[in-house]
Amino acid sequence: MAQNINPHYASSSNPAKQNEDTIKLKDNHAVSKRLQKELMELMRCADKGISAFPESENLFKWIGTINGPLETVYAGHKYKLSLEFPNSYPYAPPVVKFLTPCFHPNVDTCGLICLDILKDKWTALYDVRTILLSIQSLLAEPNTQSPLNQQASYLWPNQPAYKKYLDEFYSKHRD
Amino acid sequence: MSSTEPSQNKTWELSLYELHRTPQEVITDATEIAVSPRSLHSELMCPICLDMLKKTMTTKECLHRFCSDCIITALRSGNKECPTCRKKLVSKRSLRPDPNFDLLISKIYPSRDEYEAHQERVLAKINMSHSQASLVNSITEGIKLQSQNRPQRARKNIEENSNPPTTNGNPEPVVQNGSNGSTSVPKDPPSSASNPAPPAQLTSNPASVRSTPSPVPSNISSISKNTSTTKRAKSIMTSEHSEESESSEGRTEGENSMDTEGEGEPLNPNEIELVFKPHPTEMTGDNQLMRALRDSSVRYLKTTANASVDHLSKYLAMRLTLDLDAELPEAYRLLNFCIYVAPTPGQFVPLAGSQTLRQINDKFWKVNKPLEMYYSWKKT
Repeated sequence: MAQNINPHYASSSNPAKQNEDTIKLKDNHAVSKRLQKELMELMRCADKGISAFPESENLFKWIGTINGPLETVYAGHKYKLSLEFPNSYPYAPPVVKFLTPCFHPNVDTCGLICLDILKDKWTALYDVRTILLSIQSLLAEPNTQSPLNQQASYLWPNQPAYKKYLDEFYSKHRD
Repeated sequence: MSSTEPSQNKTWELSLYELHRTPQEVITDATEIAVSPRSLHSELMCPICLDMLKKTMTTKECLHRFCSDCIITALRSGNKECPTCRKKLVSKRSLRPDPNFDLLISKIYPSRDEYEAHQERVLAKINMSHSQASLVNSITEGIKLQSQNRPQRARKNIEENSNPPTTNGNPEPVVQNGSNGSTSVPKDPPSSASNPAPPAQLTSNPASVRSTPSPVPSNISSISKNTSTTKRAKSIMTSEHSEESESSEGRTEGENSMDTEGEGEPLNPNEIELVFKPHPTEMTGDNQLMRALRDSSVRYLKTTANASVDHLSKYLAMRLTLDLDAELPEAYRLLNFCIYVAPTPGQFVPLAGSQTLRQINDKFWKVNKPLEMYYSWKKT
C-alpha cells in the first residue's frame, strides 16, 4: 500500500485487521503531516546552500542537495543526497545517503555517511534542514578518528594535496 | 548546548543591544497591541510533531515542552534524554503535565477543533494533489497569501521557491491523469483567505550543527503594509504567470497562448471571466438537451471569483431552463450538471461543488485568458 495514503480511502473487509490498519495509517498520517510541515517551512525560508524536496509523489523519500561549504576544499562542488524516512520518523532518523560520489573521510564508496546524529545521537527535533546543515558541516570538518574512507582520512591533513586529489576525482567521475 | 556557551554567558560585557536599549513606555490607556498568531506559533508548537501542543508535558529539569503523546513516544523509542537539550530524562516521571499551558493555548485558540480541521483540510489538499507540481502550487498559493502581510519578502520567496522542482529534474504537469482526476480534486471549502500560518521557524540549533544563521526574522514589521500591498500582490501574480508558462512550455502545443503572458489588464482581481462549453464527448449532438440548445450552448460569463462550482451549476440549470422552457419535455429537468475544467486540451477534470472559481483558476488555469469550463448534464 502506498505509504502516504489518506486514511479515508483505506478500506478493509476484516474488522480486526482494519483496526490495526487504521492505527498504522494514522501513524503514517502523522508522519506525512510532519514531513509536509517541514517541506512548507523549507520552502518558506530556504537556507543558503541546502535544498530538499520529495522525490516523487511519495513523501517518504526526498532528494536533498548540499553545496560544498565555502572556503573548504569542497567549495564549488554540489552534492545530491537521498533521504528515506521510516514510519517511525521523527522518532527514528531517516536513512541518508550521498547520491553524488563524495570523497570524504566519513563517507564510504556507496555514499553511506558516518554521522552520530543519524545514528545514536538522533533526536526527534532534528529535521531535514538540520540534517543537511549537519552534513554540510561534516564536509568541512571530518572526523578523521573513525574514518570510513581510509585514504581520504590519511590525505586530509595535507589540504593542498587533498584538494588536488578531489578535483581529479571529480573530473574523473564527470566522464 | 555546546560546551563553550556557558563560559560565554559568564562574561559581563554588555551587548550592543544592552548598551543602547531604552525603557519601554508603559501603556496606560486602552491601546491594544495585536500579536500575530504566527509569532506565537514557535512558542505554542511541539517541536516533535510541529503541531500545536496537545496535553502539554514539561520536562521537570530543563522545562522544555512537548505534546504528551510525542514525548512519551520519543522516550520509549530512543535515548532517555530531552529531545531539545539532551538533558537526562529517566522516565515519564521526569515529566509533568502543564495544564496552565494548555489553558493558555485554549485562550489563544478558543476553538482548537476548528484550527485542526482547517489544518487537516490544507494538508489533505496537498496530500491529495497527486503531483509535485500541484504540491508546489498549493504551497506557493499559501505563501502568496502570507506574503501580502510581508510585502518586502514576498518576491524573494517566490523566486526561491521556483528552484527546488527544477533542480530536481522535470516538473510534472498539473494533475496529469484525467481518469484519476476526481480523486485529486480537493474538497476544500472556500476558505482561501484564512490559510493557516505555516509553522514558525524551528528555533533549535542542535549541538553539532554550526548553523548558518537564518537570515530572516520571522516577522517583519508591517509598517509598509498598507501602502504597497495591492501593488505587490499584482507583481507577484505576473511573476507567477511567467514562471508557470516557462515550466509549461513543454507540455502544451499551441493551445496555451504564451503571447498573452503578462499582457492585458488583469480585470478586477475579484472577478473572473469564463467560457462555458458543453462537454465534447458527454454532450454529443444527439443529446436531447444539445438539440434544444443548438447555438446557445456556449456561455460567456463574468462573475465574482468567490462563486463556487455549486453556484455555477445552479446558474446553468436556471438559465437553461428559462431559455428552453418551451422546448424541453417535463422529464428533462435540468438539475444535475457535472462541471469540468480542462487544464490541457482533451483532459477533463471534474470539479467538486465547493471549490471557488478562484481556486480553480489558480490551480488549473493560470494563463491570462478566460477560464474555460465544460458542463455535462446528467439524467437523474
